[in-house]
Amino acid sequence: MIEYKNVLTTCPYCGTGCALHLQVMDEKLVGVLPAKKHVVSEGGLCIKGWNAHAFVNHADRLTKPLIRKNGKLEEATWDEALTLIAQKLGEIKTQSGPDSVAILSSAKCTNEENYLLQKFARAVIGTNNVDHCARL
Amino acid sequence: MTEPKIIGFLCNWCSYRGADGAGMARLKYPPNVKIVRVPCSGRISPELVLRTFREGADGVMVLGCHIGDCHYSTGNHRTAKRMPVLKKLLEYTGIEPERLYVNWVSAAEGEKFAAVIKEFTETIRALPPFSETMKRGRPEGAEKEVEWTSA
Amino acid sequence: MDKRINDLRQVIEKILPDVDGVIALRTGPGGIVAPYLFSKERPDELAKLALWPKEPVPDTLKIILRAHPEAKLAIVCRGCEERGIVEMFKHAQLNLDNVTLVGLQCEQAEVESCHCFKPFTVHARLTIGQPLEGLRDPLMAKVAAMSQPEKLAFWKEEFSHCIKCYGCRNICPQCFCNICTLEDEKWVETGRLPMPNPSMYHMIRAMHMTAKCVGCHECEETCPAGIPMAVQFRLIARDVREMFNYEPGAVMDQKPPQLLVLEEGEYERTGLPH
Repeated sequence: MIEYKNVLTTCPYCGTGCALHLQVMDEKLVGVLPAKKHVVSEGGLCIKGWNAHAFVNHADRLTKPLIRKNGKLEEATWDEALTLIAQKLGEIKTQSGPDSVAILSSAKCTNEENYLLQKFARAVIGTNNVDHCARL
Repeated sequence: MTEPKIIGFLCNWCSYRGADGAGMARLKYPPNVKIVRVPCSGRISPELVLRTFREGADGVMVLGCHIGDCHYSTGNHRTAKRMPVLKKLLEYTGIEPERLYVNWVSAAEGEKFAAVIKEFTETIRALPPFSETMKRGRPEGAEKEVEWTSA
Repeated sequence: MDKRINDLRQVIEKILPDVDGVIALRTGPGGIVAPYLFSKERPDELAKLALWPKEPVPDTLKIILRAHPEAKLAIVCRGCEERGIVEMFKHAQLNLDNVTLVGLQCEQAEVESCHCFKPFTVHARLTIGQPLEGLRDPLMAKVAAMSQPEKLAFWKEEFSHCIKCYGCRNICPQCFCNICTLEDEKWVETGRLPMPNPSMYHMIRAMHMTAKCVGCHECEETCPAGIPMAVQFRLIARDVREMFNYEPGAVMDQKPPQLLVLEEGEYERTGLPH
């Protein structure tokens, strides 16, 4: 059975919130169409919106956590990676103070993930050095 | 008044040899045209002509073989279809279409080559420099045109 | 509008069992319309059939045919979209052997919104609606009548709003090149906004649209800056009609002029020297 549909979603880049359709051909993402008559984007998209589908299946995306061992990046498990991060951040916070840590989030995260991250920065680390890529 | 700067794209087999013919016959013609030799006038894409204007040419000439005599049989048919449309586009954009000149000069037509250069140089001399034409579209005091930025 | 939807639904329901799918517009969440492939396995979805605003369906047809070259499809298309499909076929972008065209004629309000000069289909055997007469774009006549400095100032003003989103190229049914000239740094400078005057991007697009633009108006509709770039494409299309007797999408068997050598009498119409 052949399946083609357009899934309405919001562009993950800046804060404008343009709507766009993700063109899905047999469960594979193939392109983007703008959403006409949408209250925000009115059928237009910027160049980032037009390529919003490009990063989803990109070859450069990481599929496993990587830890640098002896100068080389090696694959690791999530447990290993999270334990290392918690240990190192704790050390830095004790040695150099909480404001020596900054947290950079992403506009491609959900609101809930961003809430967690800023809560982590403020309540756990104790710093307000938190920002994300779309505040440009 | 500054001398007009003209770039001439001449096809290797006919018009370039026509230019050689004009040189060998010691015919006099204005020195404003810088000649670029291409294999065929069909090589000249509209992008090339447009960039030539953007880089500062006041006029662009495309000289090829006569229709039916092209070394590659039909290369100049492409030229004959593309260049008139490009002239129309220049006109619709507000650029004088006379700045683009297309003609056919064979290897034996040294005299025609000299005459064509003379005629076109006078045409361009009568027009303002390309940068002046572009300024007409700009309000007074607006930023000046920036040079081509890519390396 | 209601009558056309009912007629269209009836026609689709009749052909649905014989094809792998029918490409038409569907109203999605929030009332936003998008192209969709209706199939016989889910006939109730036809309740969400929509007609307006029109969407670039020729590209949808190409995507599906690329993935399933043997598929039997039907596509609901307006006059402009049908021309777009025929032109894509002439440029070897898709195979029309197993494609049924269902022609949707445009209504007066739709004709006026696009300033369409030919709001009806000519190739489709199944049609819905009555063909209406086309309009001339008033902006075309206005620009053609301007003086040279006025034209320059007009286009400089319009193109200064361009943000190089490449939307006009992305949505054009005729822009299918894998390697696009507009992405080549030799011809279109990167990182320069506002556009230089004359704008290389737009002039190259206008030249590449020679004998290809079908007047679907999608480029102008998707432009976030509201630039009327199709005026240049349509003015050139008028010249192509005069010089080469060619209208994109009109006659199935007529090859585009840029693929051929000069025809009888064409050279005289180009205005080049004898």
